Amino acid sequence: MATTPIPLEARDIKKRFGSHEVLKGLSLEAHKGDVITLIGASGSGKSTFLRCMNLLEQPDEGELIVHNEPIHFRPTKHGREPADWKQVERLRAKLSMVFQNFNLWSHMTLLENVIEAPVHVLKKPRKQAIDEARALLDRVGLLERADYYPTQMSGGQQQRGAIARALAMDPEVMLFDEPTSALDPELVGDVLKVMRGLADEGRTMILVTHEIAFARDVSSQVIYLHQGVIEESGTPAEVLDNPRSERLRQFLAPKH
Amino acid sequence: MIDLQGYGPRLLEGAMVTLELALLSLVLAVVLGLLTASAKLSRNRAIHAIGTLYTTLIRGVPDLVLMMLLFYGGQIGINMLTDQLYDAFDIDIFINVDAFIAGVITIGLIFGAYMGETFRGAFQSVEEGQMEAARAYGMSPWLAFRRVRFPLMMRHALPGIGNNWMVLLKTTALVSIIGLTDMVRVAAEATKATHEPFLFMLPVAGIYLLIASLSEWGFAKLSKRYSTGFGEASEWTN
Repeated sequence: MATTPIPLEARDIKKRFGSHEVLKGLSLEAHKGDVITLIGASGSGKSTFLRCMNLLEQPDEGELIVHNEPIHFRPTKHGREPADWKQVERLRAKLSMVFQNFNLWSHMTLLENVIEAPVHVLKKPRKQAIDEARALLDRVGLLERADYYPTQMSGGQQQRGAIARALAMDPEVMLFDEPTSALDPELVGDVLKVMRGLADEGRTMILVTHEIAFARDVSSQVIYLHQGVIEESGTPAEVLDNPRSERLRQFLAPKH
Repeated sequence: MIDLQGYGPRLLEGAMVTLELALLSLVLAVVLGLLTASAKLSRNRAIHAIGTLYTTLIRGVPDLVLMMLLFYGGQIGINMLTDQLYDAFDIDIFINVDAFIAGVITIGLIFGAYMGETFRGAFQSVEEGQMEAARAYGMSPWLAFRRVRFPLMMRHALPGIGNNWMVLLKTTALVSIIGLTDMVRVAAEATKATHEPFLFMLPVAGIYLLIASLSEWGFAKLSKRYSTGFGEASEWTN
């Protein structure tokens, strides 16, 4: 029986840094069109969890399944590692990440940044990649900045450029790691607007953020993490408007 | 016109030897330097130790001593090896350590250690986020090195590589001692025969200076190329 593949599943993910266990068995299922938001105090493990999903951090235990394909691990002296790095590279190309510090490649122009992975990883013809990149840059409002280097752009422009770079991979899932945390407040809005557009068109997204209002607006599911454990999970109405635990109530309370 | 008393063509041949020796040594030094830098940044203790041993050894022993050790010692070592092959398997071969190859290997080994330090600093200057993005977008380690780490580190490595190259170029003069006919040796022979040191040594100095100046120009060009996207070179006027 054919079922629609699930873009990303994480099952019982555990991660230790030395003797400190930062993720204590976290699971998540991102179906097509889901926007899942991870919230929690700093140190709750939300970024680490996100980074485990594309193996920028190696989970010590647990399963990762991308588009119904489980990532294979093999045991090592100190735990385990991916058995097949070619598989990891192939699956990473389906999971575009947008970083807190943008991480656009600083020796390339914006356009070169956007076509880099499509040309060299996906082996797309350069001409086609350029045409697609220009359309994406137009979409995020940066077409006239195509030949600028990252250092010549504001943080907000860089982050919108990074989103264009992520979209150019036509990813199964987009991973956002605190995409607005490094931005000046007046630049946050433009980036959130682009992200809202992606959510509206049905992109599957997993997002770590401190923007609670935005999370309430766009999320299909909100997960609240505390010390490496999922404390609450559900729709924005359940988690953000009717928090069950005192801790989450305090976390959501206005800070000033 | 200066009369080089018939030594002109030999001097020119010597200059070619110097240039070939320097360029080949540079290639070897860069390769060894990249390997050494990787080794010294490796988390594997054994690999790290090998890298450290290599740089410590090379940097602590005079170039000339190393060269003689490798040239004469290398010949003796190879002779012992071929003798044993003869005794054990009745294989009779004779390998002569070629002075040119010995020169390239020695100079490459010496400057590989210095390049290693240059590259190590340059490797570390590349922001981790740049490589993380490369990995996150599905690049293999080699692709990420070629497309991201290498072009980014070159901006930091080039001044050091340039310095090392200048010193390397002048170090090639040492090979005249192990019997390689570079331009210094030709000039020395000519001086002995004619008692006219200036006539031969001044052109030699001039050729070194010419190569060095051309190199500086080349490095300035490279440096500009690898700093696109950073600071002045990328300043835009709209």
